[in-house]
Amino acid sequence: MTLVWGGLALGAIYALVAIGYNIVYLSAKTFNFAHAQLLMLGVFVTYTCLMEWRLPWLLVIVLAAAAVAVVAAIENLVAVRPVKDVHNILVTTLGASTFLDGTVSLIWGNQPLAVSFPLGGNAIDLLGGRVYPIEPILILLVIVIVLADFWISRRFLVGLALRAMSEDPEAAQLRGVNIRAMAFGAFVAAGALAGAAAVFVGPKTFAVSTLGDSLALKGFVALAIGGFGSMPGALVGGAAVGLVEILAARYLGGEYSNPMIFVMLLTVFIIRPAGLFVHSSERTV
Amino acid sequence: MFNNSSANRPLWLIPLAVGVLFLFLPLLGLDYGTSRQVQLSIILALVVSGMNLSLGYAGELALGQVAMYAAGAYAAGLLSIHGQTDLLIQLAAAGLSGLVVGVLTGVPGLRMGSWTLAMTSFFLVLLVPDIISVFKEYTGGRNGLAGINPPTVFGYDLGSTGYYVAMVLVTMAWFAAMRNIVASRMGLALRVLKKSPVLASAMGISVYRMKLMAYALAAIPAGLAGALFANLDLYVSPESIGFGFAVTVLAASVLGGSMSVYGAIAGAGVLQFALNYSSDLQQFSPLIAGVILIVGGVALTGGLAGMGETTVRWLGARLAGAGNDNARASAGASAGTLDHIDGQPLIANDVSKSFGGNQALDGVSLQAMPGAITALIGPNGSGKTTLLNIICGFYRGQSGEISLGGKEMHGLAPDRVARLGVSRTFQTPHIPDQLTVKEVVITGRYTHEQASILGVLFRSPRYRRIVRNDERDAKRVLELVGLAHLESVVATSLPLGQRRLLELARCLISNPGAILLDEVASGLDENEIKVLSRILRELRDKGSTIVLVEHNFQLVTSLADQIFVLAQGRVMSSGTPEHVRADPKVKREYLGVDTGNGDQE
Repeated sequence: MTLVWGGLALGAIYALVAIGYNIVYLSAKTFNFAHAQLLMLGVFVTYTCLMEWRLPWLLVIVLAAAAVAVVAAIENLVAVRPVKDVHNILVTTLGASTFLDGTVSLIWGNQPLAVSFPLGGNAIDLLGGRVYPIEPILILLVIVIVLADFWISRRFLVGLALRAMSEDPEAAQLRGVNIRAMAFGAFVAAGALAGAAAVFVGPKTFAVSTLGDSLALKGFVALAIGGFGSMPGALVGGAAVGLVEILAARYLGGEYSNPMIFVMLLTVFIIRPAGLFVHSSERTV
Repeated sequence: MFNNSSANRPLWLIPLAVGVLFLFLPLLGLDYGTSRQVQLSIILALVVSGMNLSLGYAGELALGQVAMYAAGAYAAGLLSIHGQTDLLIQLAAAGLSGLVVGVLTGVPGLRMGSWTLAMTSFFLVLLVPDIISVFKEYTGGRNGLAGINPPTVFGYDLGSTGYYVAMVLVTMAWFAAMRNIVASRMGLALRVLKKSPVLASAMGISVYRMKLMAYALAAIPAGLAGALFANLDLYVSPESIGFGFAVTVLAASVLGGSMSVYGAIAGAGVLQFALNYSSDLQQFSPLIAGVILIVGGVALTGGLAGMGETTVRWLGARLAGAGNDNARASAGASAGTLDHIDGQPLIANDVSKSFGGNQALDGVSLQAMPGAITALIGPNGSGKTTLLNIICGFYRGQSGEISLGGKEMHGLAPDRVARLGVSRTFQTPHIPDQLTVKEVVITGRYTHEQASILGVLFRSPRYRRIVRNDERDAKRVLELVGLAHLESVVATSLPLGQRRLLELARCLISNPGAILLDEVASGLDENEIKVLSRILRELRDKGSTIVLVEHNFQLVTSLADQIFVLAQGRVMSSGTPEHVRADPKVKREYLGVDTGNGDQE
């Protein structure tokens, strides 16, 4: 059970990344390769604010969200909006992610830095397993985010407009939705969400400059397993990746976790190419 | 013959000279540091070249080259440790290992579209160290693969100069192969694919197989580069094959120009020297690579090669002067060199299709015969386009049969349908960028007569014969539609009317059993419609099966021999133009007396 908690908590982090990918994907049908790096940046900002400046915890959430939102806005203006060919966005956002990787290791170095959590770092017993307080909270957090998304996208105009955009941008535009502004807003909001969530991620993962690359990958696998654009899919996909990673590491050895995740990804692609929660649709001319 | 459309036929003479120059560099007395950088640049250029083939030409971002490079390096290294020091055998094994990795990862990665391959291949790169440590008794794990013996060729020890020469020769051989791929009809087909997968499949090209082929071919230079790397230091370290290397390769590709052959060398050289010449810069290398990727993706679409090409063209235009041929599309140009067209009967029987609860087609039957123009008309939302898409294989109907010349084809993939002989045009013409009129037409017969990859690489006699047929048939159909005088013009610069004729020519060149024209007259002026009508009648008289999908009632009644009127997913009326025109139901539908129904397309 301890393993399951660990796997689910890791999975929650992957689901967070997948949710970030999803928000950008749903609003603009583009893929922000650098989203995991934004989350990583949030973790480092948290480290500096919380561990070096000793700021109050709630303020750190606000600061991390704001800082990452600003970086996301810059990324959007520099590396996404000016790109004419949609295919090139993969290249430019990969460039942004490399740039962020480099920046983070220049500023904070390459050593893992510990980030603390207000509820403490002592393991407790929960449902037959030993957990750190951060672990159930991460799981709870990501579930709350998915539910909130569900609620916003059905109850609020901005959510409805986003859904309309992802169905048919032209029709949404004709209905008076400013799709450029909305896409930008969604991009920045995804950044802010990543920044705020990073305060919870840091205590679990440490602040380390290779975090972005591994989260990017596993977040993508979570997304692909659940299906592009599906929030519940991201949740399930994340949990699956986290569990496979932990269990493979425990029973087969650390070097087997990535290969096993890869095998799972390939299996899903072969059996259900559109992912578990998305139905493939017919193509049109 | 030599300088038709320089853009699509990369030069070979100058690069050959540069290659020979590189061969003799050791004689100029390079110091160790520089010559090592040149060797590393060569290795990088090979990997980058592979990436260009998949990213630039097939339009798939894939970082898997690094895994293929690792496969090549370990294959060569392991062979050497076990006593096989012959470089040629190692290269063959390394290329093959790269190819295997490429195919194994390309198959699942390509099934889902562009991000999937990007991400699975990205993942593959991160897997490399894990796989190396899983097999650590063979690979040395994280300590690296040591104990590689110096390379030999036919038993002769190469020595450092000999090895340098071998590296340059291997690189020259690959770039020659790459040039031959790009400057072939396969290169043209790749451009079609990159422009529009829908267009490619409507022309009979299997998108999946074509992309897989490009991705797998791209694995070969990566494998070769791996072997060269293993033999350079006689040691393979897993640290040098990581994600940073993948990003460097991509940056070099973007910097040099992904859609170019020789840009890889320039991009690799610049990055190799810029990033590694001084170690102070090394910690900034992710920043530099990141900036190159962003700036390159945003601005420099052609990369260094694009800039070079623009300069060459500008110079060429200067020297040639204003020698534009101003020949006009003479109305009576088509002498009609195709004597007989082998049209086939196209028969749809009782086809139904619903989207959710919306019955788009409800038991529609249609017969189009050779030597006749059959029109399919109907208001918006009547199901015309749906039927067209079902015939072409883009949709699958719930029931009904569709056959061409008696061969059942309902439910086949679009590229299969196209290869069986159904050819179509699009409402807005789909014309790939940068190709000349003649090249666009030639892409239409890519699957009609296919050459093997080896044929393409070595320009086999069979390949040459196919190319001659391409040229001959292109000339014929262009004459038929009256565009022969424009054959070397860039196709996308043509006005709409001529682009439609060009699409028609592209259909005709494959000698299709049936031609489907989707709203072929929309946007054309009266004169252009006249020219088009004359050509269509001519084709009909030669025996072609022509299906017009049209709104334009006037055009249809003047041109068609047989009309099917669709309304709300059913055939409302059919017969000769006179019959249909007199039908009261058609009158009602077309005069707008009873149009209360909310139609949707």
